[in-house]
Amino acid sequence: MDLFVAAFGFGLVSMSVIAIAAVGFTMQFGITNMINLAYGEVMISAAYVAYYVNKAGISIWLGMVVGALFGSVFSFLLNRFVYAPFMRKGTANLGMVIVSLAVSLMMANLLLPIVGYYSVSYQEDAGSLIRLGSIVLTRDQLIIIGVAVVLMLGIHALLTYTRLGKAMRATAANPTLARNCGIPTQRVIDSVWLITGAMCGLAGVVAALNSDSFAIANGAAFLITILAAAVLGGAGQPYGAMIGAVLIGLITELSAAAWSPQYKEVVAFAILVLVMVLRPQGLLAKRGALAAAG
Amino acid sequence: MNTYYAANLLIYAGIDIIACLALNLQFGVTGIVNFSFIVFQAVGAYAAAVLSMPPDTANGGFQHYIGGYSLPFPAPWVGGAVAGGLLAIPVGFVVLRKLRSDYQAIALLVLSVIANTVITNADKFLGGAAGISLVPPPLSDVINPNTEPYEYLYVGITAVCVVLALVVVNRVVNSPYGRSLRAMRERELAAAAIGKNPVQLKMTIFIVGGVIAGLSGAILVGFIQVWAPSVWLYPETIILFAAIIVGGRGNNVGAILGALLVPVGFEEVTRLLNNNASIANLGPPGLIPALQWVAIGLLILGFLWFRPQGVRPEPRRIFEGGPE
Repeated sequence: MDLFVAAFGFGLVSMSVIAIAAVGFTMQFGITNMINLAYGEVMISAAYVAYYVNKAGISIWLGMVVGALFGSVFSFLLNRFVYAPFMRKGTANLGMVIVSLAVSLMMANLLLPIVGYYSVSYQEDAGSLIRLGSIVLTRDQLIIIGVAVVLMLGIHALLTYTRLGKAMRATAANPTLARNCGIPTQRVIDSVWLITGAMCGLAGVVAALNSDSFAIANGAAFLITILAAAVLGGAGQPYGAMIGAVLIGLITELSAAAWSPQYKEVVAFAILVLVMVLRPQGLLAKRGALAAAG
Repeated sequence: MNTYYAANLLIYAGIDIIACLALNLQFGVTGIVNFSFIVFQAVGAYAAAVLSMPPDTANGGFQHYIGGYSLPFPAPWVGGAVAGGLLAIPVGFVVLRKLRSDYQAIALLVLSVIANTVITNADKFLGGAAGISLVPPPLSDVINPNTEPYEYLYVGITAVCVVLALVVVNRVVNSPYGRSLRAMRERELAAAAIGKNPVQLKMTIFIVGGVIAGLSGAILVGFIQVWAPSVWLYPETIILFAAIIVGGRGNNVGAILGALLVPVGFEEVTRLLNNNASIANLGPPGLIPALQWVAIGLLILGFLWFRPQGVRPEPRRIFEGGPE
């Protein structure tokens, strides 16, 4: 029993990491209609950027900020110089999926000669253990949970209370109509890539921090868990992605305790298949992505 | 250029052509973005391997796999093709039924990654990460596989299979059925409105493509005699997509051209670069293969940008007596 309580604790950390990543991914899809399959590679690149910052003797927390900045700028440029031109050219959704997969492949292979095949880990003392009953977490893991909670509340506030957030929702619902109403959709989309890119970079660093070591091959595994969470919640729905992250994080950690950690991604995939068969629109499907909560 | 090298090149070309014809039928003609194509090739290879091999207690029991039926040629190849088709049924049932086409692509991509993870970790099932080796070449009990005539024989059987695949896909593409497929690809709702069942059409083509892909895997494993998860990682599918995009989506001649230009070219360039020690040892380890993958990515982006219809575009089918 204690094993499962402990697994629940890891599940809390896991869902935090997945939530940061999946909300960013699903907002890219919901607002800009772009399924960015290079997301996992941007995450792993940011993790490596933070690794080199950390290796230079700088705290990993500053490395996290640098990783998020990298993710933000990189995603923005990726959209500006690759995705947006293809979209303007009228490439169909399916073509865009192929474009982003090609970008993902190129990123992984450009990164490989730079960072090498071997696993690396951050120079960071995970801090003292904190016990809550049978749940034992490190200080770092608690910080990750804290970051995720603050970020989710921030996204909620952004989408609900700010002009930018409302403009994002309008752009998601109907870009043409939003533009006709005087919303500068181009700038809205740019800010979406900047914000979600920062979440992507941050997610990459916290995912790497949470696992003992990471390697270039982790990019694809990240992507699968994120896709599972995003699709489970209903693609394009930030609140859905949060729920999806909670479920995927918990279920994968509990199954790892009960069965084998080798199959975490397989469990995530099984959930994905079940959702696709039973409820392909996801848990929170509504007409128009990013509809208001509730 | 010796015989072995020429035979090797021809057999690889044949396998790539068969695979590209199948993928072109799915992606080019029908519009199914099958990102797990390589899984269908892999399942055909595994099936052909375990059907042709003795039980895993042979050879001192150094490898573990299920089955081992020592069946004579052509049973393993037929089995490989059937396995590809059988796999397409449950996958198609989940993926093609309800999902939007870009979701389908993602689901198939995820399937490809996961299938590889599962087979790698399940080491008693199909050899795990180490894979299966010592697969007996077809007809090895009749002719010694290490002779020149055997090379010609293998090229010959491969050529027969290429012709067979080409006849099948040409019949489908140039029939009224093919017209339904193209209509659905262009506008699914309109095709459904005139009474075509999109799910059924896609499902059929998914299975036909799976059969051909399984056959290509069986031919490949009979030739290289080993099979392991590392040879069917998902980027292998992207090479075939690059071939179709370069050659010309929806055009069988284009698919053949693409197969000769991209996968065969990729293999050859790898071989030439590896032969040249001064290039092969350039930069950090793994630089040259990594840059080749980058080149594949650039090829896809470049063609989608400058010439999305490919080198040999799909012919526009014009009917006599129609409006100008």
